Amino acid sequence: MINTALERLRLGIDVGGTNTDAALLFGKEVVATAKSHTTADVRSGVIEVVTRILERSGVRRDAIEAVMIGTTQFVNAFVQRRDLAEVAVLRVSLPKGDGVPPLAGWPDDAARAVGEHIYMVGGGSYYTGQDYAQLDEEAIRRAALDARARDLRTVAISANFAPIRPDLEHRARDIVRAVMPDALITISSEVGGIGLIDRESAAIINASLAGLGLKIVRSLESAFRDLSINAPIFISQNDGTLLTTETAALLPILTCSAGPTNSIRGAAFLTGLPDAIVVDIGGTTTDVGFVMGGFPRETTAANYIGGVRTNFRMPDVLSIGLGGGSRVRCIEGNWKVGPDSVGFRLVEDSQIFGGSELTATDLAVRAGLATIGDPSRVGHISQATVDAALENIQLQIEDAIDQVKVSPAPLPLLLVGGGNIIVARPLRGAAEMLRPPHAEVANAIGAAIALVSGRVDKLYDVPTLGREVALQMAKEDARAAAVSAGANADQVEIVEIIELPMTHMRKGATQIKVRAVGPLAALV
Amino acid sequence: MYLVDTVRDIQDMARGAVLLGTGGGGDPYIGELFVTAQIKKGHYPKVVSCDEIAPDAFVLSIAGIGAPTVIVEHLVSERTLRELLARSEAFYGRKIDALISAEIGGANSMFPLALSAISGIPVLDADGIGRAVPQLEMTTFSIYGARATPAILMDDSGNVVTIEAANDRMAEELCRVISVAMGSMAFMALYPMSGKQASEVAVKRTLTQTLEIGRCIRKARDTSSDVFADLVRYLNSWDGRTARILFDGKITDVVHETRDSWHWGLATIQALSTSKDVCTVQIRNEYMVVRINGETVTVVPDLISILDRESGEPLTAEMLRYGQRVRVLGYSADPMLRRPESLEVLGPRQFGLDEDFRPIEVLTAAR
Repeated sequence: MINTALERLRLGIDVGGTNTDAALLFGKEVVATAKSHTTADVRSGVIEVVTRILERSGVRRDAIEAVMIGTTQFVNAFVQRRDLAEVAVLRVSLPKGDGVPPLAGWPDDAARAVGEHIYMVGGGSYYTGQDYAQLDEEAIRRAALDARARDLRTVAISANFAPIRPDLEHRARDIVRAVMPDALITISSEVGGIGLIDRESAAIINASLAGLGLKIVRSLESAFRDLSINAPIFISQNDGTLLTTETAALLPILTCSAGPTNSIRGAAFLTGLPDAIVVDIGGTTTDVGFVMGGFPRETTAANYIGGVRTNFRMPDVLSIGLGGGSRVRCIEGNWKVGPDSVGFRLVEDSQIFGGSELTATDLAVRAGLATIGDPSRVGHISQATVDAALENIQLQIEDAIDQVKVSPAPLPLLLVGGGNIIVARPLRGAAEMLRPPHAEVANAIGAAIALVSGRVDKLYDVPTLGREVALQMAKEDARAAAVSAGANADQVEIVEIIELPMTHMRKGATQIKVRAVGPLAALV
Repeated sequence: MYLVDTVRDIQDMARGAVLLGTGGGGDPYIGELFVTAQIKKGHYPKVVSCDEIAPDAFVLSIAGIGAPTVIVEHLVSERTLRELLARSEAFYGRKIDALISAEIGGANSMFPLALSAISGIPVLDADGIGRAVPQLEMTTFSIYGARATPAILMDDSGNVVTIEAANDRMAEELCRVISVAMGSMAFMALYPMSGKQASEVAVKRTLTQTLEIGRCIRKARDTSSDVFADLVRYLNSWDGRTARILFDGKITDVVHETRDSWHWGLATIQALSTSKDVCTVQIRNEYMVVRINGETVTVVPDLISILDRESGEPLTAEMLRYGQRVRVLGYSADPMLRRPESLEVLGPRQFGLDEDFRPIEVLTAAR
């Protein structure tokens, strides 16, 4: 046992749809883990799981140096169109873009949920960074006055080529703020890269969630105050790095796929394997993804959040309806597991706990893969049924692996998540299958080990600057962004560079995307 | 005559336009959103067949010209399209009776529909190439005697340039330079034609083809039918045309680079089965040639499309990434594109390939 009186610990928490998990780490060592149910208010589930882990480990509260929380609450709210604020959408683009107004591609219910308060005003930049029209400050002021008269409290601002000219959005924000001092304002250059519509949609989604973001973050902060844990709190974002609570409250959209990311990163950490297939089996779904260089492989095409297209990069994960709570049934002589699940009612409805539903976990217990509940209650299930149903589980996961595998080279497979007990034998398509210790809380561990990142996505004038200089500038910009987000400047690494030349033009710029990551300066 | 009166129809047309874009042509997404916004307001684009157009009607092409990274920021201005229409009628001295797409593959399938929705002027169910091509003069319009100029270019800031070029190759050069000066995005009116001439020089029924391709992919997906079988069956139902699935595999390498302002690239696809077959697709803005184990199986101007193996979604060259599971589709070009005078402009050698055109039917006969 470590000397907890002296040591500094990090507490990782994952607030999932069903479970809230926690892991306490000392350096690279997992000191303790705990699981609890997610509650509607988030807060009490977190208090429950933290209380448990403190009791279990016996560590002193002041030994916890940082708390990292991953949550899917925000994205779920948008997908379910729940607790969304109406948004004043201000786009700086005229005379350009009037034929493709904000919300043009949104599903009707989503557009209605955020209201349809659209203001388009003059101003914007060419890709060269020069204005094509002067910023129409008077029109921005009028828009803000109208939004205020409509009693709107959240604003999304976008501007043409804002990734190159963020000052256009900053100026617009200042003008709006002068009229609406208490408004929550999202500017598009903080939530996306090149592609006005996708970036603007991300800004609108974010604005609609900002009130909720603030509420949840404040409630988490008060939960830790009540627990007498005074360590700084960070929130995980999509790429496996951290946001301060202030940033997360303002930019909740950056956290929307932190759950799968944390599982994948946690799995890599627990096994020490930076490149692998990760299969995360929960109560209802199985996510199959890849870890490459310690980070999840990300999607390349457009992503949809609640039916709205955005240009977010998210972990490239295939989800199938298969988990520990999946219902098991026989259809025309074939045993089939999932896609429906008893979810968090596993402890009431499954047979091992005295219920009447046959679930994947019942099979695992009957097959001797796990010892939970009352095994005698599932003794009646025939061996043939167990074999056939477990085989169905294997085949479903193997098929998912095959669908997302990027190379025929055999990679190790890391099996994590609370439902990992339903896998009976090594899965095909992998070099070897590893079930690391603490696999059931890999997501909380992924939160605890998160780093800090900085990104840049801009057009650079490569013909004038030269490629080397342009790349250098982009790398410096990304490094600076990481440091300003809290990374230790000496340990920031460039982990990704993507160059996209502008075609169709004899002279042109190159879109360069760079990502830099480093450990939190506070923890070094 | 029919109206494009549902959002689903325009989504289908955009998907079909990506397939006919053979990897290039620009993403029709922005134009699709423009038309979507109009459809939601009850303003529907109108499509008429070449049989419905009077011989002495005045037909004009409407196109966007620019860089894909710029159009996704600048989008499309309704005011500019209206202004372009007004300027064109003043410049040519005639009321415009119908619009036509110069290039059905990619983004330029959408802009005539966009202008139709806001003006009520119908769009001819035809275009100038039946696919996508990298240069303005590579159209059946030019090849069979129509002229790209006099043409008008304009931007959203009120700059208007009229062009009379000595030939269509030069028109391409001038338009590029002017559109760069306009911020790498401009709209143009070009290829003024009579109804009779348009009917003679255009590739026909291609707008309907985009709609039906998109619909076929969507329906197969919704009904869990075999999307590739359905698609090949549909494409083969066109008189004198042949579609084949050329390869099924995973992308194991993609090289992208810019050479002389063109997007050059090479995608390597490995068979999914235990077979050692390797497929390569060479890119020059569009997909130019498919080779299996070094042997050409489809070459420009026949169409090549790379589709997501599960969803059947057509992928542009910019979307290709290591690891994607794809199927490669070959489709014989419209017979107009395979005549000797067309191949002089559209044949493999025009794109820097060291081979002559051979039809997909011949190249795949032994396979």
